[in-house]
Amino acid sequence: MRRSQTALALVLLIALMAGLGACAAPPPPAAGPAQEEAPQTRAEKYTLWFNTLFHSGDAQAMERIVQLYNETHQDTQITLTQGQWSEYYAQLTNAVIAGNPPQIGIVHTNKLSEMYPALTPLEASPAGNLLEAAGIQGENYIEALWQAGERDGHRYLVPLDTHMWGMWYNKDIFEAAGLDPENPPQTMEEFVAAADAIRDAGFIAFHPAEDALPRKLRRAWYILFWQQGGELFDEGYTQATFNNEKGLKALEFLVSMVQERGWNDPGTDGFKQFTAGQLGMLFAGNWMYWTAKESGVNWGFAYVPQFYDRRVTWANSHNLVIPKQPEGVSDEVLVKAAEAIKWINENSDLWGIYGGHIPAYKPALESQELRNSDTWQLSLSKFADMANNGWIHYPIDHPKGSQLESAIQVQIQRAYNGEISPEEALRLAEEEANQILQSQ
Amino acid sequence: MRLHPRRLFSRLLRSRQVEGVLFVLPYGAIWALFLLWPVIYGFYISLFKWQPLLGSEFIGLKNYANLLQDARFWNALRNTFWFAALAMPLIIGIGLLFALFIWGSGRRRGGGFIEASFFWPYLLNVSIVSIIWKWLFDPDFGLILAYLRGIGLDPPVFLNDPLWVVPAIAFATGWWLAGYRMVVFRAAMEDIPDTVFELAELDGANPVVRLFRILIPLLKPAILFSLVLTAISSFRVLGQVLMMTDGGPGRASEVLALYLYRAGWQYLEMGRAAALGFVLFLIILVVTLVGFWVIGLESELGGR
Repeated sequence: MRRSQTALALVLLIALMAGLGACAAPPPPAAGPAQEEAPQTRAEKYTLWFNTLFHSGDAQAMERIVQLYNETHQDTQITLTQGQWSEYYAQLTNAVIAGNPPQIGIVHTNKLSEMYPALTPLEASPAGNLLEAAGIQGENYIEALWQAGERDGHRYLVPLDTHMWGMWYNKDIFEAAGLDPENPPQTMEEFVAAADAIRDAGFIAFHPAEDALPRKLRRAWYILFWQQGGELFDEGYTQATFNNEKGLKALEFLVSMVQERGWNDPGTDGFKQFTAGQLGMLFAGNWMYWTAKESGVNWGFAYVPQFYDRRVTWANSHNLVIPKQPEGVSDEVLVKAAEAIKWINENSDLWGIYGGHIPAYKPALESQELRNSDTWQLSLSKFADMANNGWIHYPIDHPKGSQLESAIQVQIQRAYNGEISPEEALRLAEEEANQILQSQ
Repeated sequence: MRLHPRRLFSRLLRSRQVEGVLFVLPYGAIWALFLLWPVIYGFYISLFKWQPLLGSEFIGLKNYANLLQDARFWNALRNTFWFAALAMPLIIGIGLLFALFIWGSGRRRGGGFIEASFFWPYLLNVSIVSIIWKWLFDPDFGLILAYLRGIGLDPPVFLNDPLWVVPAIAFATGWWLAGYRMVVFRAAMEDIPDTVFELAELDGANPVVRLFRILIPLLKPAILFSLVLTAISSFRVLGQVLMMTDGGPGRASEVLALYLYRAGWQYLEMGRAAALGFVLFLIILVVTLVGFWVIGLESELGGR
C-alpha cells in the first residue's frame, strides 16, 4: 500500500514537472518560421483573426458577412470572435501588448484617442501603404465618418457604419390619444403636446433613454444640450464647459419629464414598456429595430425632434482597424487584412439589412437590396437622413473619455431620480470632470 | 555510517513528510502559478502607471495614495462593506434555516424535492440571477412591487433608490447562494450522532437549548467554512451589481470590484485597478483570518 502511494506520488510529480516544463518553455520567437504559421498556414493559405464587440443582432449580421467572405475566398479565411463590448477595448489592448492580436478589429470613432497606440497606421504600416495596396479610397465613404478616422496625420480607422438614437413610437397609442400616427411630433411644442395627450389618455407618454441605465440618461441629456449648440469641453479638453445655462436648461427639461410632467417614472425600463405596448414614445438606437419588429407593437419611427436651435442626436461609428501586429508578421498578412476590410465594407449592405446600421461605404448604402429591405423602409432610411443631414454628434473623444462620461452620467441620473437638483448635479459633474482632466 | 545516496533517496521517498509534500505539490504548483503569482504580479503592477504600449512609469505607492484621496474609492469601500454586512447574514441565515427545516422534518416523503428546490438557484449563472431579479424588481412589470402595492403599500423602486438598492441586491444574492450553504449545513448535521440529542432530551434540554447549546456549537466548522466562503463572495461581488444596476443609481451600488473592473477594463488604468485589487485582497485576507480567529478550527466533537 505504502509502496503504491509512493509510486503514485512519483508519477504525479513527474507529470507535474512535465507540465510546468511546457508552461515555462520560451514562447516562439517573434520572427521566423514559427510565427509565420500563426496567421499564415501552409502554401498561400491565410487565416485572419477578426475580433468584434458585437452582440445579439449585430453579431449575427457580422457572422453572415464573414460566412460569405469565407465561402467566396479560397486562399484566405476569417476566424470571427465576438463578445462583451464592455471588456473589448482592454482585451484588444492586452492582446497587442501580449503580441497576439487579431488581424482585424473594430473600434468606435470616439475611442481613437484612447486606442491609437494599439493600432496600425494604415498608410504607413510595416508593409507600406495598405490603403493603396488594398484599394481603399476615402471618396467611397460618407465624408464625416471618413474624416473622423485620422489622428496626428495617420489614418487608423476605416469606417464601417454609423449608428444613433432616434424616436420610436406606438401608432395605436397615438390614435388612442387622438394624435396622427403618421405625423409624429418634430418640434418642442408638438412634442410636449403629444406627450401630454398620451399621458392624459392613460398611457406612459415618453421614455427618454432606452432602459434608463446611467449612460443612456447621459445620452438623452447630451441630445438636449447639443441641440442648443452646447459643447461638453473646450477644444483642448482643459476644462468642462457644460455647467451653464444650456446644460441646466437641458437637464431641467429632462428631469421635468419624470418629476413634474408625469410622462414616466424614474427607474423604469423603456424597452420593456415599449414592447409591452404601454409606452407612447421612446428614444432608442437603431438596434431597437428587431426588438420592435418582434414585439408585435404597431410602431413607427421618426427623427429625434428638434427641441431647441438645431436638430442633433447622439451618434457613434464602428470602424474596421488592423491592430498593431508583432514583428515577424508577413507583409502579405497585413495586405490580406486590408483587403478583407475593403471586402467587408463592399458587402456592408448586409450590415444595414441585418444589423440595422447605416453603412459608411456609399455604394453599399445605395445598394438596391438594402433600399428594398424592410429595415430600410421602416427605420434605416430616416437614420440615414439624419447622418446625411449632419444631425449627429459624436460623444467625448479623449483618452479619459470613459471616466469623464462616468462623472457626468452619475449626476445626471441622480438629478433624474430627484435625488439632487439639476444645478447641484451639473456642479458635481463639472467638479469631477475637471479633476479627471487635471490628473493626467 | 554514511548512507549510499541511492538508499538515502529511497529512504527519503518513503518518509511520510516527503510523501505528503509530493501529494500537495500538484495543487501547490497550480495554486502558486494561478493564485499566488498573480497576486504578487498584481502588486508589482500597482506600483506603476501601467501603460505598456506607451511606456510604463514606476510611481511607487502613488496609486495607493491616490486611492486615499479618491471619493469614489471610499464610496465603493463603504458600499462593499454595506453589501457584505447584509449579504453574509442573509446567505448563512437562510441556508441554516433551510437546513434546519429539512433536518427537522426528518425523512418525510418529498424531502428530496424540497431540498432540490432550495438548492437549485445556486446552479444558476450570475447573469440569469440578475435578469430574473431585475424583472422581479421592475416598477412596471415586477411581481415584487405588484404584490407590495396589492397589499396597500407604496414601495420604493428598489433598484433605483439609493437607500434600497444595496439591500435589494443583497437579498437577491441571498436567494442565489443560500442553497449551497444549506447543503454544507445539512452534511454537518448528518454527521452529528443521534445519541447526542437523545441524551440531551433525557437530561431535559428543551428544543431551544438543544439548538443553541448543542446543534449550533457542533456546526462550528461548517459555519466557519460557510462564513469564509460567503465573506469572500460578498466582498468581491461584481456580476449582480454590474447587471442589475451598473453601479447606480448614481454610484449608490458601485462596489470595489465594480470600480476595479471599470478602472482596469474600461478606463484601461491597470495600475489603479491593480492597487484596488490589492486592497480588496487585503480586506478579504483580514476578514478570513478574523473568521478563523473568532470561531476557531476545533469542533466540539474534537475533529477538525
